[in-house]
Amino acid sequence: MPMQNVLTWMIFAPVAGAAVVLLLPRGRDELVRWISLLATAVPLALAFWVYANFDRTSPGLQFVEHYAWIPAFNIEYFLGLDGVSAPMFLLTTLIAFLALVASWGIKEGVKGYFCLYLLLEAGMLGVFAALDFFLFFIFWEVSLLPMYFLIGIWGGPEREYAAIKFFLYTLFGSVLILLAMLALYFANEPHTFDMTKLIAANKQYGIAFQLLVFIALYIGFAIKVPVFPFHTWLPDAHVEAPTPISVILAGILLKMGPYGMLRVSWPMLPEALKVYAYPLAIFALINIVYGALVAMAQRDFKTLVAYSSISHMGFVLLGMCAIGPQGLSQAGVNGAILQMFNHGTVTAMLFLLVGVLYDRAHHRVIEDFGGLGVQMPVYAGVATVAFFAALGLPGLSSFISEALVLIGAFPAYRTLTIIAAVGIIITAGYWLWTLQRVFLGPLNPKYATLPEINGRELVTLVPLGALVLFLGVYPMPVLDLIRASADQLIALVGPLP
Amino acid sequence: MQIPAEAIVFYALTAITVLSGLVVVTSRKLVHSAFALVFAFSGLAGYYVLLSADFLAAAQVLIYVGGILILILFAVMLTHRIESLDIRSETLQLLPAIAGCGAIVVLMLLAVYRTPWAVKEPQVLTQTAQSIGSLFMTDYLLPFEVASVHLLIALVGAVIIAGKRGGQ
Amino acid sequence: MPDPNWSQALRTVAPELTLTIVALIVLVLDLVAGRGRKGALAAIAVVGTLLALGWSVSLWGERLVAYGGMVVADNYSLFFNIAFLAITVLTILLSTSYLRREEADLSEYYVLLLFCTLGMMLMAKGLDLIVIFLGLEILSISNYVLAGFLRTRLQSNESALKYFLLGSFSSAFFLYGIALIYGTTGSTNLGRIAQALQANRDPGPLFQVGMALLLVGFAFKVASVPFHMWTPDAYEGAPTPITAYMSVGPKAAAFAAFLRVFSQPLAAMQGEWAVVLWVLAALTMTVGNVVAIAQPNIKRMLAYSSIAHAGYLLVPMVASGELGTSSLLFYVLAYAFTTLGAFAVVILLSRKGEAGYEIAGYAGLGYTHPVLALAMTLFMLSLGGIPPTAGFVAKFYIFSAAVKAGYIWLTVIGVLTSAVSLYYYLRIVVLMYMREPAEESSAATLTAGPLVTLAIAAFAVLLMGLFPGSIFTLAQSSVFGL
Repeated sequence: MPMQNVLTWMIFAPVAGAAVVLLLPRGRDELVRWISLLATAVPLALAFWVYANFDRTSPGLQFVEHYAWIPAFNIEYFLGLDGVSAPMFLLTTLIAFLALVASWGIKEGVKGYFCLYLLLEAGMLGVFAALDFFLFFIFWEVSLLPMYFLIGIWGGPEREYAAIKFFLYTLFGSVLILLAMLALYFANEPHTFDMTKLIAANKQYGIAFQLLVFIALYIGFAIKVPVFPFHTWLPDAHVEAPTPISVILAGILLKMGPYGMLRVSWPMLPEALKVYAYPLAIFALINIVYGALVAMAQRDFKTLVAYSSISHMGFVLLGMCAIGPQGLSQAGVNGAILQMFNHGTVTAMLFLLVGVLYDRAHHRVIEDFGGLGVQMPVYAGVATVAFFAALGLPGLSSFISEALVLIGAFPAYRTLTIIAAVGIIITAGYWLWTLQRVFLGPLNPKYATLPEINGRELVTLVPLGALVLFLGVYPMPVLDLIRASADQLIALVGPLP
Repeated sequence: MQIPAEAIVFYALTAITVLSGLVVVTSRKLVHSAFALVFAFSGLAGYYVLLSADFLAAAQVLIYVGGILILILFAVMLTHRIESLDIRSETLQLLPAIAGCGAIVVLMLLAVYRTPWAVKEPQVLTQTAQSIGSLFMTDYLLPFEVASVHLLIALVGAVIIAGKRGGQ
Repeated sequence: MPDPNWSQALRTVAPELTLTIVALIVLVLDLVAGRGRKGALAAIAVVGTLLALGWSVSLWGERLVAYGGMVVADNYSLFFNIAFLAITVLTILLSTSYLRREEADLSEYYVLLLFCTLGMMLMAKGLDLIVIFLGLEILSISNYVLAGFLRTRLQSNESALKYFLLGSFSSAFFLYGIALIYGTTGSTNLGRIAQALQANRDPGPLFQVGMALLLVGFAFKVASVPFHMWTPDAYEGAPTPITAYMSVGPKAAAFAAFLRVFSQPLAAMQGEWAVVLWVLAALTMTVGNVVAIAQPNIKRMLAYSSIAHAGYLLVPMVASGELGTSSLLFYVLAYAFTTLGAFAVVILLSRKGEAGYEIAGYAGLGYTHPVLALAMTLFMLSLGGIPPTAGFVAKFYIFSAAVKAGYIWLTVIGVLTSAVSLYYYLRIVVLMYMREPAEESSAATLTAGPLVTLAIAAFAVLLMGLFPGSIFTLAQSSVFGL
């Protein structure tokens, strides 16, 4: 396997797996599962190699692959990783693998499910690795479709509504991204979709152009994050999606939004960013506080986790647009990217945990549970780690990234940051309350026979838990990846005028 | 002001054509419509004569008046009790139609009066049949041949639509 | 004076000549062939079409003008002609088993189909309004008859009659337009009209009226709003293979002539006509897509969808220029393959007596016929413009042409309406995969012809979606010199 094409191998291993799965005869469900597992294991194994060989001192692009694809339009097959994309790219391989293990319980339409699942993984990996805007857009759309089907076919009772809502929202976003992409393409001479060239030319875009294109891109990406007021698709999609798909959706797919901003909007349209930074920070704050408040009011465990995602994604946005007189805050950008990674692991755990409970009790109403700590002590232990990580307890991963974001944002927006810190208190409140309602108190006799978490479920949760604990104590393995590229991004945006 | 004889003929022909056209559309009886059509077609032939297009005028009379109309009349006569049929259709949306047509008339009149016409000197009457023939065989060879294919298709189509379906 | 270069003249129209001769052979052989032997005539028709296709390919790269500037064999017309011939082959493949099932297995069907294609080819090749008009008439007459080919079915008769009445109406508009243009410029030849316009910048309002009438004629033929009323009924009643053919072939042919007429003589007046076309495009995209949502019958839905796609095809006409032209060519090809593929699925799922077209009947298809459902999904996504399909690349292409020409709002309308369109395209996908099969689920009769069409279309849709480079290059080299 020639390693100079490692990214292509990683992206297309799942596609190859999907093709094999599609060609298998009916009724070979077990084989389908194992082949899919293999197809997700290959990118994961290669991810370790990429991680080991990633040059942490270089801010530039690594593992670059650059070929002509559609010469008539100057479209290229251009892949590469840098500190902004590498954490999410690598995390994708891990979460995709774990969520596949969690998919073992899918019983209906196994072939179709795994086929779409593998295509979804390829699409997500492609988004994080693509450096040609057109290619980026293709992968963006390719990740959209399987998600639509996975929610729409294997989802809960309201699946059709949720799937079409998800699809139309994201599609509306894509439309705006497409327009912005074309605008940038024609703004350059010779026309190009090459992101590095589009970034290098960022001085020549007029301010009016930047302001307009930025808005289009922002709405497109914000729908994916999702940023208030574009968030209403998320709870529906999450509640209806099967557990592994919720994991993917919250763990990876949402991160495509902020990633897109960092990859496209920020470096290509820095002047517009400087104009919009404050309003964006306000939206970030709304996300944090509103998400937390709504989460607190939820009776359904899964909706609660969904709204908590909205709240946590607010921190990502807040860190990203923390801009002071010297330019973007170093702590803010690093914290935002780290928060993307950490939220990916934590929220994946949370959705897996909800899934474990749902598989046993067949409902998710929080008040109905109680005292499960006695009945399922291991489950309660793992859940406690996840809950504490989500509420930002020091010593667990989210604390570091959220603290970095707040440190970065404070000099820029004092009031907003203080209110955001209050949001953390609300977050702590609803997680502790949920913990209490589910695990403490008297055991509901209905659930006196619930079986303990099983081995397969532990396999999906333990690696994530270990990451959460480890990165909570020593975040450098991820921060190292980010730093050089984050500095470069800050330099590209430059100081406030 | 002296009115040229040509103009008198032109307006007379126009009156014949338009009025008989009106009868064609408004008449309650099919036979009346068919006969009115004879005058409409003949009026048109008159135009051709006026324009020194002798061949076209002859063709118009031969084909439309002599051929097609006679055919229509035969069809009308041979169809049982068709004379007694009230064929006038209902008039719907009278006002919008008048408004629409009026607008178009105004527009066309404006266009006609504002267009700088390329006026040609009246030509001496010559035989046009020969030049039409040679043009068909040279410059307009392709359209001529294509038109013949067109007629063939119309024939095949008519057979399909009207003819007996094989075996049924 | 006979054409001195008659061999070149013959070469210029060789594909059309081939097609005519083959059509005549089929017509004559019908007398000899007995009942139940019509399959052989279909095969002859296919071979003849492929022969004409080969001729067309062999002319590629040349620019032959013949018959006193009446026709031209340039890459632009050849690109269209090759597309028409390919469409015809696929349509014949769709037709054979269908005609047998509906007991309308007559060889005249293939004759008319070939003649219709001849008309389309002449429209693309015509450099003179007379040739374009004759092509249009040949196309229309054959099409009227084909639409009413199922003579015993009332709907088919209604389709033919409506199509005929409104079609003749539009032909009259067209002809009147030609007359006015001839009256003001002294020629029907596109090149000479352009010269006349250059010599005399203001040809007067009557010329504009003539052009407007031409525009109305074309708008009728491409089924652009507000001249689209005939489409749904005509499409619904026609035999399904003909519906497929009508929604791609004649539409593409009308666009071929439309673009040539409106960009060649009117290059100087592009700005004025662009406004009109802009409005037509915006209206067509919006109305076509919005009305399609409510259709319970798949043929009707595809009819409205084809109206909407006419709107998308108007976008590059507004944009004009080299990019506009080449993107129109690409879009035509992508749309043709996608639509034919979708109709192949529709035909496979239909039943005797023109039944089985309710969209509700597609419920659960993903379980009963996984391959058909997969193919249908692909075509629906392509029609909706989702990557990695041909439809996406085509939409991307036309919208980039529009953005480049500065028509941002038209692009916004276009992308938003195409988002709307996904709602009804995806509804089929939802039905196929997310609903239980209906009680009397339509068992598909898998016949070879439609399956071959399906495979070819699916392959083309994916190929043009993943590796559009070579087709782009072809389209770009097919832009006619102004």
